[in-house]
Amino acid sequence: MKPVIETRQLGRFYGEGDTLVRALHQVDLQIEPGEFTAIVGPSGSGKSTLLQLMGGLDNPDEGTVLLKEKAISEMSGRELSDFRRDHIGFIFQAYNLIPVLSAAENCEYIMLLQGIPAAERKARVYAMLEQVGLKGKEQRLPNQLSGGQQQRVAVARAMVSRPDIILADEPTANLDSQTGMDLLDMMHELNRQQGMTFVFSTHDPKIMERASRLIHIEDGRVIGEQRRDEG
Amino acid sequence: MLMLRLAFRNILRNKRRTVLTMLSMLGGYVLLVLSLSVQNGSYEQVIDFFTKDSTGHAQISEVGYQQRATLYKAVPASDAFYQQLTSLPLVSAAAPRIKSGALAYGETKSFPVQVVGVDAQKEAGLSFLAEKIKQGRYFNAQPNSDGYFEVMVGAAVARQLQVALGDELVLISQGADGSLANDLFSIVGLIGSTESLDARTVYLPLLAAQNFFAMPGEAHYWVVLAGNYRQSDELTAQLNQWLADRPELEAASWKVVSEEFYKTMQADIEGGYIFYYIIIFLVCIGVLNTVLMSVLERTGEFGVLKAIGTSPSRLFFLIIQETLLLAGLSCLFGLLAALPLNYWLASTGFALPEPMEISGVVMAHMKGQWDLAVFVEPALIVIGSVALIAVFPALKAARIVPVDAMRGL
Ligand SMILES: Nc1ncnc2c1ncn2[C@@H]1O[C@H](COP(=O)(O)OP(=O)(O)OP(=O)(O)O)[C@@H](O)[C@H]1O
Ligand SMILES: [Mg+2]
Repeated sequence: MKPVIETRQLGRFYGEGDTLVRALHQVDLQIEPGEFTAIVGPSGSGKSTLLQLMGGLDNPDEGTVLLKEKAISEMSGRELSDFRRDHIGFIFQAYNLIPVLSAAENCEYIMLLQGIPAAERKARVYAMLEQVGLKGKEQRLPNQLSGGQQQRVAVARAMVSRPDIILADEPTANLDSQTGMDLLDMMHELNRQQGMTFVFSTHDPKIMERASRLIHIEDGRVIGEQRRDEG
Repeated sequence: MLMLRLAFRNILRNKRRTVLTMLSMLGGYVLLVLSLSVQNGSYEQVIDFFTKDSTGHAQISEVGYQQRATLYKAVPASDAFYQQLTSLPLVSAAAPRIKSGALAYGETKSFPVQVVGVDAQKEAGLSFLAEKIKQGRYFNAQPNSDGYFEVMVGAAVARQLQVALGDELVLISQGADGSLANDLFSIVGLIGSTESLDARTVYLPLLAAQNFFAMPGEAHYWVVLAGNYRQSDELTAQLNQWLADRPELEAASWKVVSEEFYKTMQADIEGGYIFYYIIIFLVCIGVLNTVLMSVLERTGEFGVLKAIGTSPSRLFFLIIQETLLLAGLSCLFGLLAALPLNYWLASTGFALPEPMEISGVVMAHMKGQWDLAVFVEPALIVIGSVALIAVFPALKAARIVPVDAMRGL
């Protein structure tokens, strides 16, 4: 199968000279449709950097990222944003909701960009928020929600537009373990039922267990990989 | 709709800043409306006064007279001509005039003067001649009991010749038939001041001027008024159409008749724009600052919006839209303030502490203009320049690299 995302000799550096940090170095990866992949590694190993580069949120210093076999560097700003809109859902390490929009509106936003009719948008948003356990809190603004609730809105926002792939940077880090596992179950469900591809970073061994593929990184390099059959 | 709601809520987010920004836009708008109103109002007054006082809104003369006025180029001054002329729909008043030069003699002195022959009755209903009399009275169309025609003289003439009411005045010039023209007149009125445009003019009844210059039944031109000087082009076109079967005659608007005055007016009006540029500049500085601030503050959010698929152009327009919304609302509120203020300016106005002279016309009372353009133009200017100002921060937001932007969040 053709990879959804491919990186070739990907590198991202910060600073220069003596203080040069190779946040990411010579990373070759292929993410195939339907994967449920975890990127694991110690803090500062480059997980966030990798996810950001894979989604075209940052520009690499070396190598290329290909989205459905097209190099990001050859895409216009418009093409790239359209690709993100239509194919990628992001869940950031910080929740990153738009503070002036309600939970429902935060979720509705991408579908609005996609030109989905209002009635359908609404139905999908309410169903999705219910799924993440936020029924009845649809009209709340982010600052009227707890951290975990905000995280769940962010998850709902990423998934409601039904992207091909979701890039999630420690989606469960700020949640208690029960909520974290519930969220993971939900992601897994979507992965199995709808074939949605997931790539997420995590520190949590319990979460790693669920992944079908584990990519270990350290000091910006891929140091190992494990594949597991669905359990 | 969601985009508009987003823009609207962003505006409401920092209420204090929004209020300050709106106040500067609102203030700029009101200031622009009022100054435009006063400027237009005073030029309207000046042009209205000048055209009624001297040129009329249009003139009919023999072809070539406007370029080079000579004694010999004449138009009919008949009643039939007058009847036809005043029956044209746009014409509200008309009067024939004769205009030439002469040498004037008082008891001991001589002075070169401009001689203007006017139809006593028609002229009174058209120009301010009767109102300009400082001493004495308006002349009669017919000679007095001694057989002399009555004249009114400008202040400079009276002073130079040291003549007063009741004195005699001798004029010497050349007649249209080549003969020597000279005659004796009786002064019955003194006109204006030495500052007036016609300070060096001697006014004769038309019949006297026709006799003096040997051009019976004729005049040099007809002065024609429409309802308003703004109709002068239309009026001129109508007159020329009417004159189509008299190729020797033509009509010209006041802009041609007194080209110099027209050009000074244009230059003055353009000079007044500097004031507007200053107001706009001040508004823009305030707005640039707030828009920049609000964009900088929300860099992180823009990063998120972009990360989840908002195109650069959409972000760009989101910011432009926010600014336009703000400017539109400000102008709307500004209109509420500008309407009564300008109504007062246009209906009552105010007296100038010191009279002001514009192109020879003295103005002591300023009035505004009550016109749709006075309200609309400043709104367009404010909204337009504010939108232009927002382009820079909007471009900045559109070019954001999501990760860099989100780092600050
Ligand atoms: N803007 C930056 N400037 C300088 N160095 C940076 C910057 N962003 C990241 N780094 C460095 O790059 C390396 C990788 O950072 P990254 O955030 O990808 O790590 P991570 O694996 O996501 O860590 P964590 O598990 O703590 O989230 C780190 O050493 C970090 O200090
Ligand atoms: Mg990280």
